[in-house]
Amino acid sequence: MSAAGGVLGSGHEVPGGIWRGISFEDRMSTVEFRVGERAHITVDSDVCRSCTTKACVTACPANLFAPTSEGGILFNYEECFECGTCYMVCNHEGAITWTYPDGGQGVVFHQG
Amino acid sequence: MGKANMVPAASVSSDTPVFDAVVVGAGPAGSATALALARAGRSVVLVERGPFPGSKNVYGGVVYGRVLDDVVPEWWNEVPVERWVVRRSTMMMTGTQSVSVDYRSAAWGEAPYNGMTTVRSRFDNWLATKAVEAGAQLVTSTVATGLLRNAQGRIIGVRTDRDQGELRAKVVVACDGVNSFLAKEAGLMAPAQASHHTLGVKEVLDLPGHVIDERFGLRGDEGIDIEMLGCTRGIPGGGFLYTNSDTVSLGVVLSLTHLAEAKVRPEELIADLKNHPSIAPYLRGATLREYAAHLIPEGGYDTMPTMITDGMLVAGDAAAMTLAAGLWLEGVNFAIGSGLAAGRAVDRAIAAGDCSAKGLASYRSDLEGQFVLADHKRLRKAPHLVLSERIQQRYPGLICDLVDGMFTVTNPVPKQGGLRVTRSAAAKHGVKLRQLAADTVRALRVFG
Amino acid sequence: MDDTRTGPMDDTRTGPMDDTRTGPMDDTRTGPMVVACIRITDLRPQIEPLSGTVVREPWSTGLSPADAAALEYSFRIAEAWSGHVVVITAAPPSADAVLRDARALGATVLRIAVGSPSSDQAYVDELGSDERAMAGMIVAALAPLGRPSLVVCGDRSSDRGTGALPAFLAHELGAAQALGLVAIATTDQESMVVAERRLDGGWRERLHVPCPAVCSVEGAGVRLRRASLTATLATQRTEIPQVTAAGGPGAIRGAGSVGPAEVAVGSVRPFRPRTRVVPGPDSDDPRLRLLALTGALVAHDPPTVVGPIDAAGAADALLTFLIRHGYLDTEPVGEEAAHEGTR
Ligand SMILES: Cc1cc2nc3c(=O)[nH]c(=O)nc-3n(C[C@H](O)[C@H](O)[C@H](O)COP(=O)(O)OP(=O)(O)OC[C@H]3O[C@@H](n4cnc5c(N)ncnc54)[C@H](O)[C@@H]3O)c2cc1C
Ligand code: SF4
Ligand code: SF4
Repeated sequence: MSAAGGVLGSGHEVPGGIWRGISFEDRMSTVEFRVGERAHITVDSDVCRSCTTKACVTACPANLFAPTSEGGILFNYEECFECGTCYMVCNHEGAITWTYPDGGQGVVFHQG
Repeated sequence: MGKANMVPAASVSSDTPVFDAVVVGAGPAGSATALALARAGRSVVLVERGPFPGSKNVYGGVVYGRVLDDVVPEWWNEVPVERWVVRRSTMMMTGTQSVSVDYRSAAWGEAPYNGMTTVRSRFDNWLATKAVEAGAQLVTSTVATGLLRNAQGRIIGVRTDRDQGELRAKVVVACDGVNSFLAKEAGLMAPAQASHHTLGVKEVLDLPGHVIDERFGLRGDEGIDIEMLGCTRGIPGGGFLYTNSDTVSLGVVLSLTHLAEAKVRPEELIADLKNHPSIAPYLRGATLREYAAHLIPEGGYDTMPTMITDGMLVAGDAAAMTLAAGLWLEGVNFAIGSGLAAGRAVDRAIAAGDCSAKGLASYRSDLEGQFVLADHKRLRKAPHLVLSERIQQRYPGLICDLVDGMFTVTNPVPKQGGLRVTRSAAAKHGVKLRQLAADTVRALRVFG
Repeated sequence: MDDTRTGPMDDTRTGPMDDTRTGPMDDTRTGPMVVACIRITDLRPQIEPLSGTVVREPWSTGLSPADAAALEYSFRIAEAWSGHVVVITAAPPSADAVLRDARALGATVLRIAVGSPSSDQAYVDELGSDERAMAGMIVAALAPLGRPSLVVCGDRSSDRGTGALPAFLAHELGAAQALGLVAIATTDQESMVVAERRLDGGWRERLHVPCPAVCSVEGAGVRLRRASLTATLATQRTEIPQVTAAGGPGAIRGAGSVGPAEVAVGSVRPFRPRTRVVPGPDSDDPRLRLLALTGALVAHDPPTVVGPIDAAGAADALLTFLIRHGYLDTEPVGEEAAHEGTR
């Protein structure tokens, strides 16, 4: 990687850096989700099996795409920011069905 | 309980419009549209899918409020402001170094002000309330699920996810934000392309107001905004830090395509930033209040959709109107500007009795005449330049080394001359002086 | 300009329909009266860490899951009884948006004005301070509307709710009480509802509650219905009737002479799971008996690797395991097996 990027990447070397402390669960627990009954996003794991990039796995800011041992994807819709990143980075037609949650449901930002 | 989500299109029994306009999305664009229409005496319904306006919206943190001058006299006396930005820093950084250009203006701290930090739940609510006070009807917790068309295929309203959920109107104004499914359904916008979007992730951190004042050299309701370049591990984008009353907003904006390729998780980049020696001291002891993410349409002028069709207009982020002029983002002001223009255009079209694309055409010319499209046109190449590989990856390091070369006291070894410092720093970062000169010229053309 | 305006629009621009209507929002108040007594709170209030001040944002007020469930049960029971729902809350004006939604669902709504319109903090303090007086106020405010057959409350709220209000209400009304329920259903008699309450170990007790009664429900199992768009638009500018906090405790007391009716619980024996009988080892040699009892030399089941499998598969695997180890009979547990008191 480039000079600028490479050096910053070494942020990992700061042992016990004060900011590394927060776990992903704690991070997500700061966000309010009014979870609806309907899964507003569904992922067809069969399509994902043939996907080599698995771009959604790292790009989803809520970390909702979990790769399974058979090469598929396990997806939970509950703690979703409704941002749209996943369907935009996915280049497999039909892998992701994306809609908004029903009115009033889903993420509620208070500090946006 | 769970009744049917969608009302079948077949149940369109009558094509008669019930409202003058339906506005979808109570973000800044939608509320501005509804406000303009209600003030003109038109009947307008504002549909928002969140439980309250602003509940789905995330931005960095600064609203440039001058666009409100004509709408709300002395808006600065009533807008829910956190701090007035009087200081703006641009920081070029590598992992261990940073160079800041710092600008401070006393004038920015006085009416009519330049920029303000504010929180979207408060700001969007305030603007939506203005529209409601002017006579608009706001319906929250309701998703517009699709367009209603008559037998000829002309748009005559929207369908929502409530029972008896059809809203028929003379004009639909889609202000439904970056993912705008309505603009796509109307055929005004091509399917989403990752390359025209960036992802913003943000942390709002609790820090007592007086600590913010001390650490950032501020007083009272003064605020700072810091934009950062070179902090995203080579992924095109940048970082930002804005001060609110007793919180700090910190985040990164990342090119979607490159983020996906780099296989880095977005929150790691925020963690990098918080660990950076130039940022960490500002945030010592701060705790996370809320984490958030949102997309930004950053393609600029050249990627904007067709904004007008028979019976429908598109405004705000739905029309890709966020301006990534420099490192900072201007979107709220463009959303409000385009919303007001849309409201005026719809009012004119209704008065003339022609809500076809032709009747609504004044929207485009209105926008071209104002800052909204004028700025976008002028800066149409800015997104490419700012996100270009050299600006993103090489220059921050180059500039840091340049300054390092000039400031570091090396005696007894004699200091190198300015040009030699430049040449050796440039060589180290793989930048040819010709390119440096060329980019400078390009930047002057784009921003000058 | 106005001449181009369409349709049934009038100058007040209230939309296609005003708040005078028929159908689901009919407000004729016939039949038994079911009251949803709910608390409208900021669902995510900011608490100032140093002072403990609760900062409520008016737009993020809503119903806690428990209060939403209370409202939904009120509608279901009123429908079954062909009765009507009255929604009452003691709150500042920031609660009106939620009350309008309830109005759009067809309920009669009533707000007891407490706290000052400017400071929700006062409201929070006031509510927490004297729930008995609050119950008195509510009963007094309901009096002109008739005597409730059933009052449903949420069992807890996110801001200082103690869950004691329903008990005070029952006392004021001279009604039976059943608190912390997970379900309420009607029976074939109109003077009785059945309710379910969680017990330890996944068991439930079923209560027969005579009316009038006050019930509080957990936020589980049901979702509040959504109003139609037409009704929502029609109630947009509805004025919410307000009563001021007068009356005080004891304004009315249920029938005066009779004490509250009692809830019938099928059985008051505590629930104890059946013991599993393990036959004693049948060797004469104490050492062998000991070995058999401890299982020291017996080959153990290797750890079972389950999954990754889908939810249904996992449930089956779990049940099979429990049955194999004698914790369950072979029939699956379900509603039918719920503790009916007599077991
Ligand atoms: C990380 C980040 C930082 C930014 N920083 C800044 C900044 O510092 N300054 C600045 O000026 N701009 C900034 N922006 C840009 C700014 O946020 C947007 O340009 C602006 O919000 C656009 O306003 P809008 O009204 O067009 O869309 P939005 O604010 O996105 O509003 C759209 C609304 O429509 C609703 N909606 C969507 N679909 C439906 C539907 N089908 N039915 C009903 N409702 C619907 C949504 O809930 C939402 O309320 C930033 C953006 C991001 C993501
Ligand atoms: S969702 Fe798309 S990107 Fe993710 S694994 Fe499946 S096919 Fe690949
Ligand atoms: S919409 Fe955003 S948060 Fe939700 S799953 Fe997709 S990428 Fe993740």
